[in-house]
Amino acid sequence: MTRFLAGRLVRAVFILLVITVSNFFLIHAAPGDPAAVMAGESGDADPQFLEQLRERFGLDKPLYVQLGIYVSHVVRLDLGYSYRQQLPVLDLILERLPATLLLSLSAFAVSLGLGILAGAMAAARQGRLSDTLISLFALIFYATPLFWLALMAVLLFSIELGWLPGFGYETVGAGYAGFARALDIAKHLVLPAMTLGLFFMAVYVRMTRASMLEVSQMDFVKTAKAKGLRPRVIQRRHVLRNALLPVVTLAGLQAGQLVGGAVLIETVFAWPGIGRLMFEALSQRDYNLLLGVFVVSAAMVLLFNLITDVLYRFVDPRIRVAS
Amino acid sequence: MTEFWKRFSKHRGAVAGLVILFLIVLLAVLAPFLFPKSPWAMVQRPFLPPFENATYFLGTDTMGRDLASGLAHGAYVSLLVGLVSTVVSLLIGIPIGALAGYFGGIVDDVLMRFTELFQSVPSFALAVVLVAIFQPSITSIVVAIAIVSWPPVARLLRGEVMSLKSRDFVDAAVLSGQRSFTIIWRQILPNTLSPIIVLASMMVAAAILVESALSFMGLGDANVMSWGYIIGAGRTVIRQAWWVSFFPGVAILLTVLALNLVGEGLNDALNPRLSRKGRQA
Amino acid sequence: MRRLLTIPFALALTVSAALADPVSGGKLDLIVQPEPPSVMIGITTNGPALLVGGNIYESLLRYDENLKPMPSLAKSWETSEDGLTYTFHLQEGVKWHDGKPMTSADVMFSVEDFLMKLQPRHRNLMSHVAKVVAPDDNTVVFTLKEPFEAFIRGFAFYTMPIVPKHIYEGTDYQTNPANEKLIGTGPYKFAEWKRGSYIKLVKNEDYYLPGKPYIDELYYHVIPDGASRAVAYETGQVSVLPGGSVENFDIPRLSKLANTCTTEKGWEYFAPLSWLWLNNRKPPMDNVKFRQAVMFALDREFAKDVLWNGYGKVSTGPISSKVPFYANVGPSYPHDPAKAKALLKEMGYDGKPLKLLPLPYGETWQRWAEAVKQNLADVGIPVEIESTDVAGWNQKTSQWDYDIAFTYLYQNGDPAIGVDRNYKSSQIAKGNPFNNVEGYSNPEVDKLFTEAAVAFPAAKRQELYDKVQAKLREDVPVAWLLELGFPTIYNCNVENPISTASGLPNSLRDAWIKK
Repeated sequence: MTRFLAGRLVRAVFILLVITVSNFFLIHAAPGDPAAVMAGESGDADPQFLEQLRERFGLDKPLYVQLGIYVSHVVRLDLGYSYRQQLPVLDLILERLPATLLLSLSAFAVSLGLGILAGAMAAARQGRLSDTLISLFALIFYATPLFWLALMAVLLFSIELGWLPGFGYETVGAGYAGFARALDIAKHLVLPAMTLGLFFMAVYVRMTRASMLEVSQMDFVKTAKAKGLRPRVIQRRHVLRNALLPVVTLAGLQAGQLVGGAVLIETVFAWPGIGRLMFEALSQRDYNLLLGVFVVSAAMVLLFNLITDVLYRFVDPRIRVAS
Repeated sequence: MTEFWKRFSKHRGAVAGLVILFLIVLLAVLAPFLFPKSPWAMVQRPFLPPFENATYFLGTDTMGRDLASGLAHGAYVSLLVGLVSTVVSLLIGIPIGALAGYFGGIVDDVLMRFTELFQSVPSFALAVVLVAIFQPSITSIVVAIAIVSWPPVARLLRGEVMSLKSRDFVDAAVLSGQRSFTIIWRQILPNTLSPIIVLASMMVAAAILVESALSFMGLGDANVMSWGYIIGAGRTVIRQAWWVSFFPGVAILLTVLALNLVGEGLNDALNPRLSRKGRQA
Repeated sequence: MRRLLTIPFALALTVSAALADPVSGGKLDLIVQPEPPSVMIGITTNGPALLVGGNIYESLLRYDENLKPMPSLAKSWETSEDGLTYTFHLQEGVKWHDGKPMTSADVMFSVEDFLMKLQPRHRNLMSHVAKVVAPDDNTVVFTLKEPFEAFIRGFAFYTMPIVPKHIYEGTDYQTNPANEKLIGTGPYKFAEWKRGSYIKLVKNEDYYLPGKPYIDELYYHVIPDGASRAVAYETGQVSVLPGGSVENFDIPRLSKLANTCTTEKGWEYFAPLSWLWLNNRKPPMDNVKFRQAVMFALDREFAKDVLWNGYGKVSTGPISSKVPFYANVGPSYPHDPAKAKALLKEMGYDGKPLKLLPLPYGETWQRWAEAVKQNLADVGIPVEIESTDVAGWNQKTSQWDYDIAFTYLYQNGDPAIGVDRNYKSSQIAKGNPFNNVEGYSNPEVDKLFTEAAVAFPAAKRQELYDKVQAKLREDVPVAWLLELGFPTIYNCNVENPISTASGLPNSLRDAWIKK
């Protein structure tokens, strides 16, 4: 186990490093630079102004020198300063990360929980109306553009019905604390988490259903039936448990991807997470901040993958994880 | 072939999907004849609601452009973006997966690490960054979608090739002295066609979704009217003119739905054995 | 020898005195869009930074809607008859937010050191100044090299914010930690910034005007999506939408909501004017007939009515009608496709396709680019839209890598400050998207602009500006579009939100909330 973990960690660090370097070049290929953006916004500029900015950001040095400086900082876990906001990148990211994690993890939990439940129900009632309905809805959610669903949800639940806040993380200036604040945040969380979760839920419904149907064809299930176990017990103990393996694997892989979907959802719902931070950094050419977000989100993806691998190893010892 | 149809048509949803898809393709192809005017032409008053004017039955958008014309011309663009980006990602994913699966060992290791690189960055975020950096145009959008969607192809191919490699007909080819590339090209790849087709149909659907999401973020090509572009342009007026973003939204929903249903049907028809893998990807 | 030209102190106070009795208290929620990088407006001068920072920092003067100066940190001032000496008397008892007194030393430090190092606009203004002296704690005297009538309009809160000497002197201004704490003299003090969510300001209890400001807390909310910002107003979560913070298409709907007020005021100093850069260096844009044809091809009334909901005004030429020395002289360009086609035929235009660079500031500008593309296509000029973001747009325009490009610029109170930079040949320099980007060069225009800037008195300037406006309208170096109108939408319970030519940014000092 230790060796397995160590191997995985070395690999993850290597991948992170390659990602850092390639994204560094990618970002610098974009037209314009942060100094030009800031000059553009100020409505006035002269060469001295631009020079000052570039010097301050270290953009006057050759690209390879800039890369060397950046990498040497990153290996010491220093993500540098945001050009624009003059704050450490790590602070900015850590300030936003909890919001994204809260959003992604609740979306993840909702989609996985409901997905498996609905998928299992559909499989158990294969061919009946409820199965068709569940499958149909799953397919529709799967095919609906996320942002579209988000817009419709805001229109319906916060404007027409006024049940839930349509944007933001919490009620600003309300002065809530403790439980009241948690409740307030939870209310704000409902719409974005549901919207983000629905797409993934659709994926899990379809997978669970397919996987369960497949497992129920297997020999050991037939054996269980022959032994005269009740169908419900067979479904729960034998079929579901085994059918969940591929679902959990996929879920683990997708947990990281939720951050990608969060870019869209965070924009629509004004959710102050790192997805939005990334998009802003991108359009402002805030290289350090953008790279920082990439490094952190890639690290998260790798971490989730690692956790999935480890879980897998525990759940099903027959599987050789190292392969 | 008849056997194929028999199995395909057993999946009723797949048949429905095929019909819808056919209609959409027809619309795309006939767009220049049905709506000879440019979809950008401002033809009526802005914000004309649907079903009020017989000529412009779906209404007009913020600038008085015919929405029906936009939808028809947009069908062509959206399908094209979906198809081309899928072809490009197959062109990247198939060789990588095939080489990794066939040669194994260090080649496999290197190629899979490479694939992992792309999977370690949230894919939509990567697409956003790529389009923004290379500036939004239909080419950069297609390339970005292809770049973020090839890894599953490579993984699928690798698995397929690994299992095919140990089959008798491959051994026979090796013994007869054929070169590795010939074996991959002649013996192995043709046998991986069915799962690829199934995966590809779903990828076209996913690409259409990604394109619309990019447009929504303001990263669409301003010279071609795709469905995503219409929604992106219509979202700021969604309260005054729901129809501008509603109809293209429905069009995307139907197309993606149809493609997925067809994909499932193909899966059942082409290779029942592989149904599980097809769905995972 | 000196004559008191302006201004009785009481006159400026009539604005607020005319209203019902203000009451103190309450909290006000506004939108700030996009989130500014910093609100230290001595360093960062973009729109959103000004919106917030203008309540924290002040300059010597404020301006009314006709750009007449009003007291701010200066309670009175005199100009010598020869137009060379400007003497400012500062308010008494002004304190920085940390309790230290504000004196002429702070003004000297800001004007001669801080802003000289950081602000290009300030360096320009100061090029007219021979020396600045502070004879005592409450007086500052500027002596000019030559008369520069525009000078009195250069003391706006964002062109010359006064910053604290005791905090910045001897430090690196850009990285001084005070940039996060923000010590100004303004009516509101910086309290908290939750990045991605809101910026909070609180009432300055020690403000030098007794009783002011009236409101206890200001919240500037950051909401990245336009539709969500509109929803925030509808659901009452914010009660002021500063100009430009919602998409134009939402404005008619929002302004019809119950208890909602709308005003176009508060943009007179900025006077934003939009136009198309026509790259004069490249054919066919180097041909004056082509440029005139573009003017005739554009349907600017449509743009105003459909895209801008009737707000703003079709521009007649290089100077906005809100700015002093505007004159409606020279040829005019109504929408006339036939005339455009005739001009194109006359010059022998070959139908070469051109690239059009939209301004990446949201949907309205995108739609506008599409409309312009159609207008040009209608007269036989094929155009392809190049999509880009803010950085790309800056890069392309400042490196002259475009055919036709959208822009809009502030005119900052005077043609000598905010207009001639776009037409004088001495202002042709790569790397700056705000100078003579189109590459127009005409010695006659150069001469007129140069003379007009330093002519004295104002009547003399008017004469010269009349000539140059007529000449430019004939030559069409750029295709002028609209004088933009950015209505502020607010809950009618908010009284007097806009009290100067710079609107909400300068400042909420006089605003109050009805109980």
